[in-house]
Amino acid sequence: MNRLQTNLGKLDLASPLLVASGTFGTEYFDLIDQKLLGAYVTKTITPEAKTGNPPPRLFETEAGLLNSIGLQNPGLESFISDELPKLRSLLSIPLIVSFSASTLGDFCSMLESLEDQEGIAGYEVNVSCPNVEREGIAFGADPAILYKLVKRLSAITKRELTVKLSPNVTDIAAIAQAAVAGGASSLALINTFYGMAIDWRYGESRIPKFVCGYSGSGIKPVALALTYKVAQAVQVPLLAMGGIHTWQDALEFFYAGASAIAIGTATFSDPDTFAAIHQGLDAFLSDKDAILHTLIGTVH
Amino acid sequence: MVFRKTLPVIEHNILNRDYAVLKVRDRDLAVDCRPGMFFELKAAVESQRRKLFKPISVYAVDEEKISFLVKEVGEGTQTIIDLREGDYLHLIGPLGNAFPVVEGKSVLLVSGGVGYPPLAYLKEVLAASNQITLLHGGACQSDVFPCDVVYTDDGSMGKPGFVTEGVKSFLEEENPDIVYSCGPVPMLKAVAALVRPVPHFVSLEAYMACGVGVCYGCAVPVGEDYQRVCKDGPVFAADLIRWEEL
Repeated sequence: MNRLQTNLGKLDLASPLLVASGTFGTEYFDLIDQKLLGAYVTKTITPEAKTGNPPPRLFETEAGLLNSIGLQNPGLESFISDELPKLRSLLSIPLIVSFSASTLGDFCSMLESLEDQEGIAGYEVNVSCPNVEREGIAFGADPAILYKLVKRLSAITKRELTVKLSPNVTDIAAIAQAAVAGGASSLALINTFYGMAIDWRYGESRIPKFVCGYSGSGIKPVALALTYKVAQAVQVPLLAMGGIHTWQDALEFFYAGASAIAIGTATFSDPDTFAAIHQGLDAFLSDKDAILHTLIGTVH
Repeated sequence: MVFRKTLPVIEHNILNRDYAVLKVRDRDLAVDCRPGMFFELKAAVESQRRKLFKPISVYAVDEEKISFLVKEVGEGTQTIIDLREGDYLHLIGPLGNAFPVVEGKSVLLVSGGVGYPPLAYLKEVLAASNQITLLHGGACQSDVFPCDVVYTDDGSMGKPGFVTEGVKSFLEEENPDIVYSCGPVPMLKAVAALVRPVPHFVSLEAYMACGVGVCYGCAVPVGEDYQRVCKDGPVFAADLIRWEEL
């Protein structure tokens, strides 16, 4: 009996453990058994190749990791011709493609191109990027803009459509409701927080881009609170993430309302994290003679 | 094949206040090691606040034994150095590419500080079939390791000044066929300018998260774009690196 069975909108998942976009690649399959994962989420793909940000791109803090990768990726065309065939042959779990663009039109044409491809189970829409048609405000920061985007995208696909929310907003519940009203069949949350580090000796930013993304154990309580808030505001399944390192961390997110969780920064501090969380959750549920599904959203 | 293992430290030698040599024994890990490759290391100590593995070059391989020369540069490396024989070390590796191996050549090796270990390993491998000179530079006496000519910034051992002075003198007398270097970026940059157009391979150091090529956190300006030190490197042809951006 698989006590960890869950679903994310239209997808039935054999494991509730997913990978946070950008923190995982097939290189990890030497070290991590893909059967531990419910689905494989790609790094975010953009319409054109992106070279990414100048180094250094990383700085580890007392309780997490700052990154400034700049969405380095080969672009849609190369993804479809080179990476997708490899993923199709390697994966025995559902493939979720994360994508992003800087205009509404580009988002739609990307999705149309991806729809022509086989072997994709769903999409994660990364809406944390600036909208160049709206003075660079992120798509995911304004409910009206996000609603319009998701409405257009959901008309293009019947596959699973997850919208990944940014935590860097005033009211995440309103954003979540807008995405669901637009047709998102699940939500992923959260992307990285804004973060920064300065070398106090010289007054110099540790990262050339100054403000970067912050992930890891330091954001866990905040991510948990945002998961709870969103779970209270919408009915669709949530893929939650933010600083999860242990099976106990994972349980907290399920109680808060997550149907599945993703692991990101913790993979870097130990690729064995997936196995440990999977085993820990299974043992916990066996001990209680329970299944994961009955726990979801039952915080009291 | 990359492995994730937890192994006991079988030998541990403190060299001085900054450096220690740690040894582990494992056939899987040792068999594919080549000079230039590295491992992601982390002390099996739960209380560390910073949790990322640290990329450390292979220093020596003797059948199934792998040695690492580790310098204390922060919490992670300090915790590794503080391990004792019988304590456990987490390892991911072997990782990265390797230095190209040559035969019958005049070879110049230039290392600075903790850039020494991969070149010491390379020297061991190249020694039988090449004419080799290893120049090494350090800030002070504690950064000095066995080599042909040593330089220290403070003059506390060997010749005073930067190792790049040694490269200049060497080039006045000799014509190396190939140069290999590893050390701080300003040193590598200076060596690259001095030895051009002689083929020159450098091993770069970078802050890393995954170490296996997935996160692109360690990327450096090489060729037309940014390449990963962990997967595309750490060894790069010096003339492909956009030095002005480093």
